[in-house]
Amino acid sequence: MRNISKWLIGLSLLAIFLVACSKDNSQNENKNNDEANQEANTSEPVAGGEISMPIAADPTFNTWHPNAYAESNIVNRIIFTGLTKPGKDLTPAPALAEKWEASEDGLTWTFHLRENVKWHDGEPFTAEDVVFTFNNLVLDGSMGANGASNYKSLKEVTMVDEHTVEFHLERPWAALPAYLAFNSEIMPKHKLGEGDPWNNTDFNKKNPMGTGPYKIESFLPGQSVILVKNEDFYEGVPNLDKVTYKIVPDANTQIAQAFSKELDYFVLEDMSALKRIESSKDLEVTSADITRYFWIALNHEDERFKDVRVSQAITHAIDRQAIIDSVMQGYGTIAHGPITPDQEVYYTDEVEQYPYDVEKAKQLLAEAGWEDTNGDGIVEKDGKPFTITFDIAIQGDLERIAQLVQQYLIEAGIDVKLNVLEWNAMIQKDIIERDYEMLLNWWSYPTDPDVYAQYSSENAGTGNNIPGYKDPKLDELLSKGQATSDQEERAAIYREVQEYMSETLPYIYLWYPKELQLRNSKLKGLPDMYYGATLHYIHEWYLEN
Amino acid sequence: MTQFIAKRLFQSIILIFIVTVITFFIMNLAPGGPSSMMRMDATAEERAAIAEQLGLNEPVIIRYKDWLFSALSGDLGISLSSGQPVIERIQERFPYTFQLTAVTLIVSTVLGILLGVLSAIRRNKWQDHLINFGSVAGLSIPSFWMAIMFILLFSVELQWLPSSGVGDASFADKFKSMLMPVVILSASTLPTIVRFTRSSMLEVINQNYVRTARAKGAKEKKVIYYHALKNALIPVVSIIGVLIPRLLGGAVIVETVFGWPGMGRLIVEASQGRDYNLVMGVTVFVTILVIISNFVVDIIYSKLDPRMKAY
Repeated sequence: MRNISKWLIGLSLLAIFLVACSKDNSQNENKNNDEANQEANTSEPVAGGEISMPIAADPTFNTWHPNAYAESNIVNRIIFTGLTKPGKDLTPAPALAEKWEASEDGLTWTFHLRENVKWHDGEPFTAEDVVFTFNNLVLDGSMGANGASNYKSLKEVTMVDEHTVEFHLERPWAALPAYLAFNSEIMPKHKLGEGDPWNNTDFNKKNPMGTGPYKIESFLPGQSVILVKNEDFYEGVPNLDKVTYKIVPDANTQIAQAFSKELDYFVLEDMSALKRIESSKDLEVTSADITRYFWIALNHEDERFKDVRVSQAITHAIDRQAIIDSVMQGYGTIAHGPITPDQEVYYTDEVEQYPYDVEKAKQLLAEAGWEDTNGDGIVEKDGKPFTITFDIAIQGDLERIAQLVQQYLIEAGIDVKLNVLEWNAMIQKDIIERDYEMLLNWWSYPTDPDVYAQYSSENAGTGNNIPGYKDPKLDELLSKGQATSDQEERAAIYREVQEYMSETLPYIYLWYPKELQLRNSKLKGLPDMYYGATLHYIHEWYLEN
Repeated sequence: MTQFIAKRLFQSIILIFIVTVITFFIMNLAPGGPSSMMRMDATAEERAAIAEQLGLNEPVIIRYKDWLFSALSGDLGISLSSGQPVIERIQERFPYTFQLTAVTLIVSTVLGILLGVLSAIRRNKWQDHLINFGSVAGLSIPSFWMAIMFILLFSVELQWLPSSGVGDASFADKFKSMLMPVVILSASTLPTIVRFTRSSMLEVINQNYVRTARAKGAKEKKVIYYHALKNALIPVVSIIGVLIPRLLGGAVIVETVFGWPGMGRLIVEASQGRDYNLVMGVTVFVTILVIISNFVVDIIYSKLDPRMKAY
């Protein structure tokens, strides 16, 4: 027995020593990688080569198709292009539109389109394609186009001439160019104009035709989408000859394939392999800001949650930094509102903050009438204990986060029962039927401070404004933000929005996550942006020799 | 024989009907529908438009009736997620699953019988213990875990085998791609064949006719592989019929981990996407496949063992 103990102690010491060494090595490697990266990014791009990226399921090659889910967006972004794209400074940059301007009343936007742009089959791209995309696919309510709800303020698109279009709005909407850069690619009228565009399986599932830097070579269902460079791409011939999207649904297999050099670039969702990846000389991990925030929604139709002190108490009760450090491995910052820090012009943290403080939480609950009168550790009001059913969808780290939140809230005297649901079931119960008390999830949106959709009373209780939050003052501020194009004025308005939201807490703000990207260290020329945005610049990527 | 076939055919039709009823109602009554697959911020109007387009506004019973009548006329409908005919999607994927399961079945049968015989004739020797240990390990290690371990060893560390896909046109490439999925699938079927062969062999080699063959001076190899094995294999054939559904079930996990574009992956994708028609199509197809394979096994069995004809 004593011998076994000696062995165990010895092995443990060895393991600690090895972990320590590998940590040092990984830090050095990272440093080296960063230096190498900086050097390489200043080097000249090289033409040729091919890369592979993973997607989780078969894509649908049509951005607006109701079945075009996240995996489709990644592919469609390089086959098609939109009128604008996220600029490297994250403001909207020209893509199919060279320039644009808004009328004085903000109700009409004119977009001047690039000339000499061709579809992959050689047909010219014109204003008719833009009119078709918006009027026939997006604005026709009976189509149920994916993402159409983003364009609620858009009335109609008209053609001025072959290379000019006008967007007519119901109300001023300064964020229009930002939304046009967000999953809003233009589809070819000459391919989808006849018949039902959603049932055109030849286009949507086999032979898409875009204006993007890569065009389809082959699609093997369940296996891969192989794309080759478009020599006629309007921003110049892409460097990489071929891009393959491999359909790899399992996240562990994706990581294994990065090690075996079968995959070159993707977002790392599971951080458990982080240390190992960091110690590999062939791979590098970079982090990027992304316009995304995690939140808890309390159903505001529930009387208990109408008292803002309850929301404030819950925010105080959760140690958000501890969750970021453990679950997110430190890749995130505490959120105070919906405007993310990557939007430097608009973001402010000079707002009401809610540091982790259980006593303060208890005090706020007591002020709201919730006190532990029977000594069971759970607060009561009118003899009823404060019990919340907390719905979670099985997705990424949500379940782990929810378990921690549950523990924190129990400590503050709120009895939380977890209800774990499959994603579709959660949407049905919580979003469609609105049968929930508390829900955890996140929002991603274009890099623009306009969050009208998720907060306006008009959308209360719909998929957009999930908590069912209604506040005339906030409505007014958000409408003012939408109607103002001047950046300084907008910044002032959205600062006020953040200050107001941090006091009123329409959602419980958790954190702004950082996105971790896993890359083959030979892959260069990528802008310092989140994964989805770097794809807009795929023609600039290259493989270092 | 005609009576046997007619009886089995009737039973099969009833079975297929029951399977379709259960699958259709479970699928359609599960919370969430194709419209739940839309983005979280889709509006009620957007969701309603999709339900309308996909014809999901009718009551489930009416939809089942419509589905059944078109299925009886040979039309399995349109896949809700891709707009392609269901039958086309099955045709795209079935060859891959067939390839994987057929090779697995051949490998596990041949290897299983050989190891089973070896285990029986070396009873309680180290070979028997080793084979038994291997069988228990194969049955008890979860295939998804084994798959990840294999990928880490053979793809990541040694870089000998690709971790996903079906390989390109060359035979060597296809062989390499198939190796790990086949080994992992075999791990769950091989032990059953080994154990059945072993116990059947042990029973047979103690019987009088084997003793007689030995007494007549036949060589041991001839006694084992000709006289004994021929009879010992009869129950082994019947177990192969049981293994086919198990193999198809195992393919769901193995195909997902190895990115193998077969039916197993298809049914996972179809159920996650609430693609009702596709789930129904694949279910009916797989049920028919299992029924046919069991039917073939029964016929072979009755040929091998004339006593079975009485049933």
